[in-house]
This record gives sequence, structure tokens and C-alpha cells, in this order.
Amino acid sequence: MLSRRALETLTAAITGAFGVAVVVSSLDNGIGWSSGGVESGTFPFMTGLIVVAGSLYNLVRGWLRGQEIAVRSAELRRTVALFLPAAAFVAAIPLVGMYVASAGYLLVSLHLQNRLPLWRSALIAVVAAAALYLVFERTFEVALPHGLLGAMLEP
Amino acid sequence: MSRTLKLAAALAAAVAFATPVFAWTPTKSIEFVATAGPGGGTDNFARAVQAAIVKNKLIDQPIVVTNKAGGSGAEGYTYVKGMAGDPYKLVFGTSNAWQQPMVSKVAFKQTDFTPVAAMVQDEFLLWVKQDGPKDVKEYLAAMAAKNGAGKMGGAQSKDTDELLTRMIEKTANLKLIYIPFKSGAEAAVQLAGGHVDSHVNNPSESVGQWKGGTQRPLCVFNTQRLSDGPKVTATEGWHDIPTCQEAGLAIPLFQQPRTIWLPLKVTPEQVAFYVDLMKKVQATPEWKDYIEKSSQSQVFLTGDAFAKYMAEDSERVRKVAAEQGWLVGN
Amino acid sequence: MENFDLLLHGFSIALSVQHIALMVGGVLLGILVGVLPGLGAPNGVSLLLPITFGMQPVAAIILLSSIYWGALFGGSVTSILFNIPGEPSSVATTFDGYPMARSGRPTQALATAFGSAAFGALVGVVLITCLASWIAGVALQFGPAEYFAVYFLAFSSFIGVGGAPPIKTLVSLAIGFALAAVGMDTVSGSVRLTMGIDELVKGVNFVVAVMGLFGIGELLIAVEEEMDAKAVSSRIDWREVLRTIAGLPRHWMALLRSAAIGCWMGITPGGPTAASFMSYGIAKRLSPRRARFGQGEPEGIVAPETADHAAGTSALLPMLSLGIPGSATAAVMMGGLMIWGLNPGPALFTEQPDFVWGLIASMYLGNIVAVVLVMLTVPIFAALMRLPFFVIAPLIFIVCVVGAYSVSNSYLDVLLMMGFGVLGYLFKKLDYPLAPLVLAIVIGDKAEDAFRQSMLMSQGSLKIFVANPLVSTLVGLGFALLLVPPLLRAIGSWRRSSRREP
Repeated sequence: MLSRRALETLTAAITGAFGVAVVVSSLDNGIGWSSGGVESGTFPFMTGLIVVAGSLYNLVRGWLRGQEIAVRSAELRRTVALFLPAAAFVAAIPLVGMYVASAGYLLVSLHLQNRLPLWRSALIAVVAAAALYLVFERTFEVALPHGLLGAMLEP
Repeated sequence: MSRTLKLAAALAAAVAFATPVFAWTPTKSIEFVATAGPGGGTDNFARAVQAAIVKNKLIDQPIVVTNKAGGSGAEGYTYVKGMAGDPYKLVFGTSNAWQQPMVSKVAFKQTDFTPVAAMVQDEFLLWVKQDGPKDVKEYLAAMAAKNGAGKMGGAQSKDTDELLTRMIEKTANLKLIYIPFKSGAEAAVQLAGGHVDSHVNNPSESVGQWKGGTQRPLCVFNTQRLSDGPKVTATEGWHDIPTCQEAGLAIPLFQQPRTIWLPLKVTPEQVAFYVDLMKKVQATPEWKDYIEKSSQSQVFLTGDAFAKYMAEDSERVRKVAAEQGWLVGN
Repeated sequence: MENFDLLLHGFSIALSVQHIALMVGGVLLGILVGVLPGLGAPNGVSLLLPITFGMQPVAAIILLSSIYWGALFGGSVTSILFNIPGEPSSVATTFDGYPMARSGRPTQALATAFGSAAFGALVGVVLITCLASWIAGVALQFGPAEYFAVYFLAFSSFIGVGGAPPIKTLVSLAIGFALAAVGMDTVSGSVRLTMGIDELVKGVNFVVAVMGLFGIGELLIAVEEEMDAKAVSSRIDWREVLRTIAGLPRHWMALLRSAAIGCWMGITPGGPTAASFMSYGIAKRLSPRRARFGQGEPEGIVAPETADHAAGTSALLPMLSLGIPGSATAAVMMGGLMIWGLNPGPALFTEQPDFVWGLIASMYLGNIVAVVLVMLTVPIFAALMRLPFFVIAPLIFIVCVVGAYSVSNSYLDVLLMMGFGVLGYLFKKLDYPLAPLVLAIVIGDKAEDAFRQSMLMSQGSLKIFVANPLVSTLVGLGFALLLVPPLLRAIGSWRRSSRREP
């Protein structure tokens, strides 16, 4: 269960941190006017300040007003159940490559999580990976990552 | 000797007969990485090489041209830098391979690549609007009269166009405002609309505008006039344009090489294959057509000659960049 | 009508069995690359360019421009069905297209989008036919100050139409601007905001950002709201397509207004993305049905789609007559022109009339072929919505990941997209508007470049923005759009309160 207050605080913290990073980083580029016109850090610096100020405002306001529940436990569980396997899929790409990772991801999410029969899950997984290969690797010559596994299999 | 081995030997012999002997030939598709957006000079260069190879079937593997123009081409260089040992990635660029690391904090150096060749020298001309100054002397007088407010458009910042602008300032002892646009084509349109007073585009970037009567070249930054060819407008061709030196602006030679690189850790055989391939490209009619259409000069620098050229050019750029305070500690 | 004779001559060139076959092939390939996020028309065009080296220039350009038309149409499909815009210019289509599809009317949403897109494109071509030479002249009037004014106008017509909290809108907009600044800066040549990650020198790609913010973010919201409970039941119904097309003329006002905005933004350097946002923003201010915008209102699809295609089409003209490509695809085609031995520029029209008018004629035919083919695919795409959510969700994830990767073969982009996904979820949950962020990513750096170029030209004086009638009108309009609505609201509430007082 997450309260609105927690979500507002988290979001304001993320945007605020981004704003601070932008401000600090743009100081390196120089702000103000030079012989080359408006210096390259000026605009990012201004936008960074706006983000920081706005985040502070949102933080306070969110803290004051956000009493109600934003995400119920059941909802949170569903969201996490969707996101975690997807994150694991992305993390697996450098290891086993895009094709194996996506087939594995489909298998896990269809069969284990949603109880689709194994043969149907496997069929969807293999067809999807093969379609990716045909469209990207073969037709449009966009090489998707093969991962460490691909590197080992290559002669 | 087993049967398979015999077969292999026979096949190898057949292949050796069919094509000249190379220690290495490509066995899958090759990626040409153009460090410019589609339609830019480097992109046209990569596609012209591709066209010459494909049309004449110089190799039997497909070639894909990809554009990685982000960060004024730094994206393409950084991408190929990370491909060390992969002989299927060639990066197409200009002198920015050694100039860009001098003036901005990019994540590559010229020494991160294996040079293949420089194949073209692109020319620079000084262009004004159709109804602008009639010759170089008049142009310089007009710019001097503007007292530092004369505007020069160009592609990118701290790149060849601005470098040449700063050299003009110094040689003619005047001040100009340099306005960087994304590409030479954009600078050409800005000149046609009268928003800038001049630019120093390559011939191919402005030939359409010259034909259309919106702008014309005053002089070419070369020691001799461009070669004779068909007339571009009703009365004039490239050969009719004086060199800047004879027209009264003492900058003898300013050119931009178009270059090809492999990543590091490729074998000498692989480099030799591509050097030879590019030599064959230069013999094709498609290539001659490209050189003529874009009014560039053909060269072929490779090995030591290329290294020597780079060293000299770097020295010259470093001097101007140091005067302007552009150098970054890379 | 000299142009009309030339056009007829163009039709006589373009109308041949071989050319029509090329159009069909090109359009189908275009729809495919358009539908897959990450791939786009430039991929298709780039792939086929080597094949065209041996063709006649007219045949070659017909093939390539057909890919372009196909991809423009295909790009709207994922925006509508899955909230994933494959191109910057189809972001605004998601605002009403996706809610409409979600509420069980995917066929109607797609047909509305395609119908109005075709209308916009045809208006654009007619404009090119009639006013070719005049348009080229207009485009030349635009220097950096005028560019900036156009971008400013696009921002001000769009910002402030939503009902989102103002400070959250501001934060979202500012984050978009900051993201647009990441990478190499054109005006100074220095590298900005890479935060120590060298690869970021290429900048934050728009497709990566929107696939995360819209696609992944929406998935996370959808699963939370238990979308699987109300799986959309849509029958494959061809009559629904025809009914929708027949009903389109009811929105004649929106169609005409959006086509006008689109053509204007295509001729001036605003481009299709700015056009679609601006058109949506203005429709939301003016339409009698504005209250229902954002919940699946047909006019909310008509406005951005018509403007997008009108702008995309009329933007081809500056390419031909001035040599500045209005889009990445146009740029690849321009590279092709040079290889075929043609020089884009003012002289092209007089030197190569066969080619130019053949191309213009093929724009009419190509768009008709494209709209017919794409309408035939509507029920097939709509049927995708019948797949259960738990099957479609991982597939969308995979498509987004592959799409983000293939934009520039970079794993970093995949990670960024996941990050944007989480941000999109949080923003949507807490009423931060996403559209200002996206608009700022797309045109923020162009606006900044134009502003700084103007400042260089004027040596620091803001007077350059009122220096001539054109730029002052644009800036004035921008301020009017920005300030008038809040002023009216303020006056309205002041009136109400003063009426109550006595």
C-alpha cells in the first residue's frame, strides 16, 4: 500500500535531484553572455532552477495534501508482477541476447505467471523471437544484441 | 587427406581463381557509419561509395549505410570506437576525426581508429547573395564598413567553417559574426533569404542555389581554379571562379578531406582489403560521376602519406584553435 | 493554369502499371516500418535506396515516397492501439485516439485517423500544385528570429490548454527542455549535461523517451487498473470503417482548420510535430465539443492527424525547391536525388519538370493507394485489441525494448526507456502532464538554437523579435494565445464575484 504522500515525495525527490544535477552540470558550460553569444550553460541552468523550485513546491504541497491512499496493495502487487519480470528481461539481454531473453520472458510471464498451457506459451515465445529475428536481423539488417551467449556460440 | 579436406582445397582453389587473392574477404554484411545526417556531405560520400560497390558488384556482401550524426558526428565515432576488432564496421568522416577531439570534450581520439584512406578533398568557396558584392574586394570593403556586424553563416561550431571564417578575419583584418547552423544547406537557405551576408559552403551544398540564381561564389580557397567542366549557370562554370588569392584574399589552400576508418585491433589483411576496395571504387564511372557532380577533388591518401597529412593539418588547426581559445584538455 | 497542364503531364508519367505496383509495394513496406516503433520510414528508404540506383529517377522517387506515405499512416496505429507513438508527430494522436480505442472503438479510432490524415495530405498536395513558386518564396523569409517565433507560437498554443496543476506543468516542461539540451550543442560546439556518460553526447532520443513515458508508463497504469477485466471486444467489421469515413465530413470545421494549420507549419519551418500539437491545442480551445477532449473525442483525433499529414506533405516542397529536407526521410530521399544525378534547389523545377511533376502527381496517387491499403488493414489491427491483456503486455514490452535498442543500437537507450517508463507511471498517477515534456524534447533545442542564433545576429538585443512585420506578428500571436485565456478567466471570476457582492 502506498499513500499519495509517499508517491508525491518520491516524484518530487526524483525531479528535484534531476534539477540539481542539471544546474551543477550546466555551470561547467558557463552561464551568461560571452563573445560567442549566450553561453551554452545558460538555458539548462535556468530550466534546472525551475525544476528545483517547482519540485520543492510540489514536495511541500504533496506532503500537506496527500493523505489518501494512491495505490492499494492488490494494485501494487499487480504492477510489481508486471514490472519485475520485464526488468529481469532487460537485465538478461547483455548475457543471453535479445532473442533468448525475450523468448524466456514470454515463457515466464505467460506460463508461470498467468498459467497459460505450456505448449501455447512456448509456441508464442518461439514465434515472437523468430519474428523479431526475421524482421530486424534479416529484413532491415538491424543487428539486435546477441549477448555473451551469442559471442560464445560464434566460431 | 580426407574427402572433406580435398573438397575444401578444391573450393579454395576455385575461389582463388575467380577473385584476386586476399588473405581476408568479408563473409557477412558491412555497415558504413556516416557521421552526418542524411543528405549531409559525409552521408553522400558514404552512399556514393556504397553505390559504386553495389552497382559494380565489387564485393558480394550487402552494405548498409547508417547515420549517426549526434554530437556533430561524435556519435558515429564513439560507436565504432567501441567495436574494436570488428572488420565489418567502417566509419565515414572528415577531418573532424582529429579536429573535434581538440576543441570539444568528446569520448574519442583519432588514435582510437585504424585509418583506411582519405578519398576526396572537398573545396570551400566564399558565397554571397545574388545581389550582394560583385567581387572579393567589394565584399571585404562592405564587411569592413559594417564594423564587426557582418554576418557569416556556416555549419556547426568550431568546425571547418568557423575555422575558415576566423582565418578570413585574420587575413583581411576585420571582424565577422559567425552564426552556426545545423548544416551547410541550412546556411545556404539563410543566405538566399538575406539573413546572413555570406557563407563558405562546399560546392555541392550550394550548387542548386547558384543554378537557381539566389547566390553566387566569389572565390575558391585553392591554389588553382577548379577544373573545367560544363557551365553551371548560363554564363559561368566552376572554372570561371577566381582563386581567393588572385581575387585579393590571401588564403592559399583550405580543403576538407573525406576519410574512412576501421576500428582498432583489425588485422593488416583486413585493412589491405578495404584499401584495395576503395582504390577499385575510384576507378568506377559512378565514382567519377560523384566527384564531378559534387565538384570535389579526388585524392587517395593511405598509410604514411595519410599520417603525414593528418599531422600537418592538426598543427594548423591547433594554431588557430589556440588563438581562439577553443582547445580543451583532452 | 500553367501548373495544371504540368500536373496532367505529371499524371501521364506517374500512371503506369509498373509505377502503381511500386506504390503498392512501397506503401506496404512503409506501413510495416511505421507500425514497428524504432523502425521508421528512414529505415525503409535507406534499405531500398541501393535498389533504386539502377532505376529511372521518377520510378525511384515514387517507390521511396510511397514508403514515406505508408509509414506516416502506419505510425498512427501503435499510437492509437497501445499509446506508443512511433514518430514525434503522432504523439498528439494518442490524446484522444488511445482512450477511444480503449473504450471499445478501435476501428472507429483508426478509420477516423486515417481518413483525416488522407484529407490533410491531399490538401497539402493541392497547395503544392497551385502555389509551388510562391511557397518557396515564403520559406526564405524565415531567419533565426522567425524560426524562434514559430516555435514560440507552437508552445503557447499548446501550453495551458490542459487542466493540470500549473506548477506540475512547469516542472514537466522544464524537464523536457533540459533533456533536449543533453548532448552536443550546435551553437557553441560544446558537450552539455552528459553527467559523465560519454554515450549521451548523441542526446536523448525522442522515440526512447516517448516509448517509456507513454508506452511503458501506460502499461503500468493499465495493469494496476485491472485492464484485463475489461478486455475490449471489437468485432471485425468492415462496415464500421465505411460508416466512420462517411461521418467524417461532420467535422468539416476541424478538418479545414487543421489542414490550414498543417500547411502553414509545413511551409514555414515548424514541421509536422509542432503542427499536430498546435492543431490539437487550438481545437481544444475552439471546438464546441472541447469538454470531451481527452476522453476519446473524434475531433481530438481529426485535429492532430489532419495537421500532421498536411504539414508532412507540404514540407516536401521546401526540400525540392530549397534543398532543406523537412524530415529524416526527406533527407534520405534528397541523398538519393544527388546519386540519381539531380540537384535539389530552385532550378529543379525548371530543369527537371518531368521529375518534379511526376513526383507531385505520384503524391496524389500514392496517398490514395496508401489510404485504401491502410483502411483494409484497420480490422486486422483492431483485432489485436482482442488479445487478452496478459499476452499483449509482455509483447508490448518486448516491442518497446527492441524499438528503443534499434534507434541507435544502444543498450543504454533501453535502460533510459525503462527509467522513462517509471517516470511516466509516476507522472500519470500524480497528474503531471506528459505532453509539455514531449513537446519540449522535440522542439526545445531547436527553439533554443534559434534564440541564440538571433542573439548572435542582433548582438544581444531583443529588438530582433519585433524587427519586421512577420516576426512581430508571430510573437504577438504567441503572447496572445499565452495570456488571453488566463486573463479572460480572471476577468470572468472578477465579474462573478463583483456581481455577487452588492
